[in-house]
Amino acid sequence: MNRWNVQQSTSAVFVRKAAAFLAALALLSAPALTAALTLSGDSSTYVQSRQLSDKTRVIGGYEYLDFMVQDLGSDTISFHTGGWLRYDFKGEEYGKRPNDDLQYSYLSFKSKRDNTAVNLGRVMVFEGVAAERVDGMYARTDLKGGIGVSAFAGQPVETNDTFPGNNLIYGARVSQQWQGVYRIGVSALKEEKNSTDYRKEGGVDLWVHPLTKVDITGRSTYNDVTKGWMEHAYTLMLGPFARLRLDTSVSMINYDDYFFRTTTPVFTLTPGVVTPHERMRMAGETVMFSATDKLSLNADYRNYDYSIAGRADYYGGSIKFSMPESGGAGASYHRMKGETKALQYNEYRLYGYKKIAKIGITLDAIDVVYDVPMNGVKDSYALSLAADYALMNGLKLGGDVEFSHTPDFDRDVRALIKVLYHFGAKGGA
Amino acid sequence: MNRTTTKMALLLALVLLSGLYACALKASMATRHPLEITALPLCSECHTDGRSVVDHTADFIDRHRFIAEQQSRTCNLCHKESFCSSCHGHNGELKPSDRFKDSPELTLPHRGDYLNQHKIDGRINPAACMKCHGRSNNVRCGVCHK
Repeated sequence: MNRWNVQQSTSAVFVRKAAAFLAALALLSAPALTAALTLSGDSSTYVQSRQLSDKTRVIGGYEYLDFMVQDLGSDTISFHTGGWLRYDFKGEEYGKRPNDDLQYSYLSFKSKRDNTAVNLGRVMVFEGVAAERVDGMYARTDLKGGIGVSAFAGQPVETNDTFPGNNLIYGARVSQQWQGVYRIGVSALKEEKNSTDYRKEGGVDLWVHPLTKVDITGRSTYNDVTKGWMEHAYTLMLGPFARLRLDTSVSMINYDDYFFRTTTPVFTLTPGVVTPHERMRMAGETVMFSATDKLSLNADYRNYDYSIAGRADYYGGSIKFSMPESGGAGASYHRMKGETKALQYNEYRLYGYKKIAKIGITLDAIDVVYDVPMNGVKDSYALSLAADYALMNGLKLGGDVEFSHTPDFDRDVRALIKVLYHFGAKGGA
Repeated sequence: MNRTTTKMALLLALVLLSGLYACALKASMATRHPLEITALPLCSECHTDGRSVVDHTADFIDRHRFIAEQQSRTCNLCHKESFCSSCHGHNGELKPSDRFKDSPELTLPHRGDYLNQHKIDGRINPAACMKCHGRSNNVRCGVCHK
């Protein structure tokens, strides 16, 4: 298929999908069917112009649509869907990439008792060890004694998945809580591909509130195929004490157990990319001080300790000023101090945004200064200017330009225009 | 454990769970926050239960996954799937920081020159990349990482 045919094919698919969407919208908008429906959603249309590393410029048009129908016959049933389409006005990046994707799409039933919920379709599942997108089912409910149970099953939605044969993922989480004191969850998932155990993971997650102004949250996950702990990650939160808060985080990751069954070679254990047998320990502290309701100051420190690659420290601070509905500004400085040359740099950021009547203006500058130049560049920066105009209630037009000078681009200019539309109507009269 | 024992255990668990469900009878949590939230919320100002950890403080981006894994219903009071998928897409195309350039106050990944910076971030903590790009949203990774 030549380039013209590819383009024709792309536009034909785009038109068909757009027509299908409009037909669905028209159907749902029919008065007879919308006697009690509540329709709402967001349409975000973007056109982005950017340069590739070979200096060619590509211009892509994107439509991101999120749509929700509530009160489908009953106020406990709803339908949710979201996805995007791309049309290549000029150039087609990286060859024949997919030009659309369904992010989620499911029918939901939510009971008025016991937080019982059942979702059917393409669902996103966040339950303990599971952070998955699944074509199938998710269900949860509360039981007596502070117990909650959830389960999911279906076909995993993954990228670059080329395995033949069966493809199934399922899992569950059981939690128990003492309201206001603790909640502990135990979860597991299993993924089968080609009739083999592709992933088997288990985990414990918890939240503990032993004293006023003291919270501990985190989780540990275990890889039952490699027989090793993947991750331990916990945060101790103290405060607020007057206007001060302190968060202490610790985490540990075993690379051999964590980087397992990926669908991209980036994360396969290869020396120089993701080092095999590496073990990373991170300890960090964040101190947050709210000087006033509008002004906050933060200081943070992270120490990374690797069993093979040495150690690195990342520390700095930020100041934020914000006036809701009016504007704000912020500035930050961070220092990365590692043992390798690539991990030695200073990072600066300065931004401001202001709303004047229906117009919004944003300025953002990010500057990274390397101790040792990369590709001959010591100072890598990006400057962006964005503006938007609220044309009417729910409809906003906007655009931005970003100029950058980086180790990869001497001079890169990107531009984006967008139309954002929020729609929502209570059906029936 | 043989198959009969497994079946018996599953049946017992089902009966137990059904009994616990039948006795629970509590009203479900609201699906929408009763008050409109106009700024980053500090839930602990009103709530003393588990929702206090949902405070959207400066480091919330680092620990929001714990909240999502443990009490996603609390997230759903203000956020729907569209909010999650705007960053956690399956096949993302536009960077979140490009879509929301007019919201610089948000802590979004990949701001500025991320082509070079990803090499540094990936070296510091590749696990943070793996969470979003390990099994999904990695078509773009394959352009260079073949």
